Formats: sequence, structure tokens, C-alpha cells
Amino acid sequence: MEIFWNSIAEYNAATWPYQLAFIAVAAVLTLVLWFRPCTWAKIATKVLMVLESLWIAFVYYMKFAATREHSSVMAIFWCLVAASWVYDLATHYSSFQKSGKYRPWGVIMILLPLVYPVISLLRGMTFPEMTTPMLPSAVALYMLGMLMAFNRKVNFFAFIFIMHWALLSMTKIVLFNIPEDLLLAAACLPAMFIFFSDAVDSGPSGGKPSRMAVKALILGIVLVIGAVWIYAYV
Amino acid sequence: MTQEYVNDIADFISRYVTHMLGAGVHTSRVVRNSKRIGEALGTEVRIHTSQKTATLTVCEKGGSTMSTRVLDIPGFPISFEWNADLSALSWAAYDNDMSLEAIQHKFDELISKPKINPWFVLFMVGLANASFCRLFGGGVWAMLIVFTSTLVGFFTRQHLTRRGVNHYIVFIVSAFVASLCASSALSLGIESAEIALATSVLYLVPGVPLINGVIDITDGHIQIGISRLVNALMLIVCIAIGMSGTLMLVKDSLL
Repeated sequence: MEIFWNSIAEYNAATWPYQLAFIAVAAVLTLVLWFRPCTWAKIATKVLMVLESLWIAFVYYMKFAATREHSSVMAIFWCLVAASWVYDLATHYSSFQKSGKYRPWGVIMILLPLVYPVISLLRGMTFPEMTTPMLPSAVALYMLGMLMAFNRKVNFFAFIFIMHWALLSMTKIVLFNIPEDLLLAAACLPAMFIFFSDAVDSGPSGGKPSRMAVKALILGIVLVIGAVWIYAYV
Repeated sequence: MTQEYVNDIADFISRYVTHMLGAGVHTSRVVRNSKRIGEALGTEVRIHTSQKTATLTVCEKGGSTMSTRVLDIPGFPISFEWNADLSALSWAAYDNDMSLEAIQHKFDELISKPKINPWFVLFMVGLANASFCRLFGGGVWAMLIVFTSTLVGFFTRQHLTRRGVNHYIVFIVSAFVASLCASSALSLGIESAEIALATSVLYLVPGVPLINGVIDITDGHIQIGISRLVNALMLIVCIAIGMSGTLMLVKDSLL
């Protein structure tokens, strides 16, 4: 646990100006996409997602968290997340357009990464040994929020990777004493049901079992995962 | 029996054979069922099968009218439903003396039944693989990690298959992605992390070609049996390549 928090402290101390720059660019692009959506903003946002993922992979995991066991696994994982956004860029898999659904929920999720340092401060932690919006789970939460806010056509590859990451983050809550990650887990479960249900609705009709039955199965799985998490930690 | 009628029977049995073989039914059952339908319609059916093609001859019983077809076997998804339904159709044709038109009508009805929802398949495969993890001694966290890893891997497989990517490459990529996601369990220090890693690719194991290959060989269809086993072996090698990529990166710390 000490190695974990030391690596975060070193990372924050050395990279805070870059972190601020990432946050500023993300804020500008999000506002542009929200109020004046245009093609360059959509492409720039996907490029930002790629850069953020590679940042986490190479700067966070390969440099500052290199002393942690199996940190290279996490670096490769984040390279895969980056690959999912590169694939999106190449194939226009997602559209980053609003659908009119789940808008408030999307806004809340985009803002949640900013709550990470607030929770750390409330826990009595001080800079640099505290969480920031440019840590892996906060970045994953931002990506999830963007997918939720602009959900006309979602990058499912990125979403499933984030879902897997949310699951991992739940185990870290106790392991590394980082309750901030509860935010990601709490946001991911409803998102899982919403995205998969929408995908079932937009799929071909007349399949079996019925759409209602498939959605009931997804809801059941989401509830079981939630119950396991609650049972494990409460 | 006119030549035209024998041709019609040959055309129908051709469709029947290709659908059965394409959906992963073992050869002796396909041959047996086709002969049964031919028998019900007053003809004799002879079939030679290989992995990609089949040759079919329909002869009038006791006569000289005959018709031969050389068929390409399409790659349908494995379907136990078609297997059961089309086998039952051959018995219905034989027991009820159904006409060719009636059999064709029933056949069209059976093969146009609604397909299984791909999202349903995705989640059921995830659950099945998580259950495998449990069977091999994995804990709850390992099961959850295997579940989401399988979702990632199987979604990749579905997506690449839809885009027409070569299925050997699909197997390599899917195995790599699923095992890499499961390997993240190692970094968390979960007790059964290695079980999660090992079971994350089990959804790719080609069980049907393996079983059919063995059944075909024991039933005397040596050529197609060996073809199926070689095909299954190639897929297993692809799984091994994908998983080796992960193990080299993770266990040998290639990075």
C-alpha cells in the first residue's frame, strides 16, 4: 500500500502541470461538443482519449508505478484502451453525438473525476499524496461520462474495457485503501445496464429470446455484480 | 419417376445436406438422415463428404433415372437447433410419407426460425466461462474478472467475424485480448489469479469440431474426421498463440 501511494505522490509532484493541461483541454473539448458540436471537436476528443490512455500507460504505469508488481500488465491494458479509441478514429465506430437520453446522468459522470481530489482532501490527505482527475480510474470515469453524455452511437470496445477496469478498481478499494474508486464502480453498473439495454433495443428485431428477456438477464447480472460488491465491502 | 422430379429431390437434399454439415452436424448423421428422406421419396441417396464440399447422387429406386450434385458447404454458425429439427424432419418425412413439397415447406419453416440474439449469446458465454473458472477453483473476484474478460474477448470475436476477418486471426486476437484482461488479476494479488488467466480463453475451445472429428473417424468417415480434427487443432494453436502473447508480456516481463 505504501508503494502504491508513494508512486501516486511522485507522479503528482512531477506531472501536475501536464495534468492541469489535460484537464483544461478535456474541459474545452467537452464544452465545445456539448454546445457547438462539430467534426473537428469529435475527432479531437477521440485523439484526447488516445493520448490520455497512452499517458496512463506509459507515464503513470511504466514510469512512476514501475516499482509496483505487474505494472506492465496495466500498461498493456491501457494501450488496449488506446487501441480501442484509435480503432474508433479509423472506423468512425462512435459518433459523439447526443441522443437526448440520460443527459443529466452523463453530466454528473463527466464531473465526477473532479470529485476525486475533493474526497482525498476530505480524508485528510494532502498534495501530492492524493488522488487527481488524471489517475487511471478518474480517466476511466471521464471516458464513461463522455460515452454516457454523447450516447447516440457508443464505442463499445472502450466501454467494455472501462467496465473491466471498474471491476478491478473495486478490488483496489480495500487493497490500496482508495475509496475514491467507489465513484467509478457506482457509475459503471448503471451504465452497464443502460448501454447494453440500448444495444439490445437497437439490434435486429425478431431474435430470441425476446428483447425484454435479454434485458432482464442483463439487469439480473448487474444486480448480482452489485450484490457481490456490497457483500464484499459493507 | 421423371428426371425432373429426381432433379427436384436432388436439389432439396443438396440444401438439406449443406445446412446440416454447415451447422456442425457429424457426417454419419447427415448421411443417415439424407438417405432416410431419399427413401421416403422413393429414391436412393449416396453421399461423399469432405471438409468444404460434398458430392450427392440421387437414383430412382429400381430404375435408372439419377441426378448428381457437387455442393459447396457454407460456414453456418454451430446450431444444435438445426441439428435436432432437421433430424426430426427426416423422421417425419419417413414416418408420415410426406410429399417433396411438404418436406420443402417444413424445411424452409425450420431454417427461417428467429436467430439467437447476439447480446444474449455474449452474456451467456461470459457466465459460462465464469462458471468454468469456479469449477477450476476460482474465487468470486476471479469469476468476475473472467466474466468481464470473456465479454471483451467474445465481443472482439463477434465484431471481427462480422467484418469478415480470417477466423484464425480472430481466434488469436480474441485469445490475446481475453487473457490479457484476465492477467490484470495478477496485479491485484488475487489468490486464484492464475486460474482466471487460464480459464479466460476456454470459450474459444472448438468443442464441436473436436467431438465431430472423433465421431466421424469412429464411424468410418476418416477423411472428413481428420479434416475436422486438423481444423480444430489449428484453432487450438491459434488460442495458444494468443495466450502465449499475453504470457510472454506478463510472465516473462517482456516490456
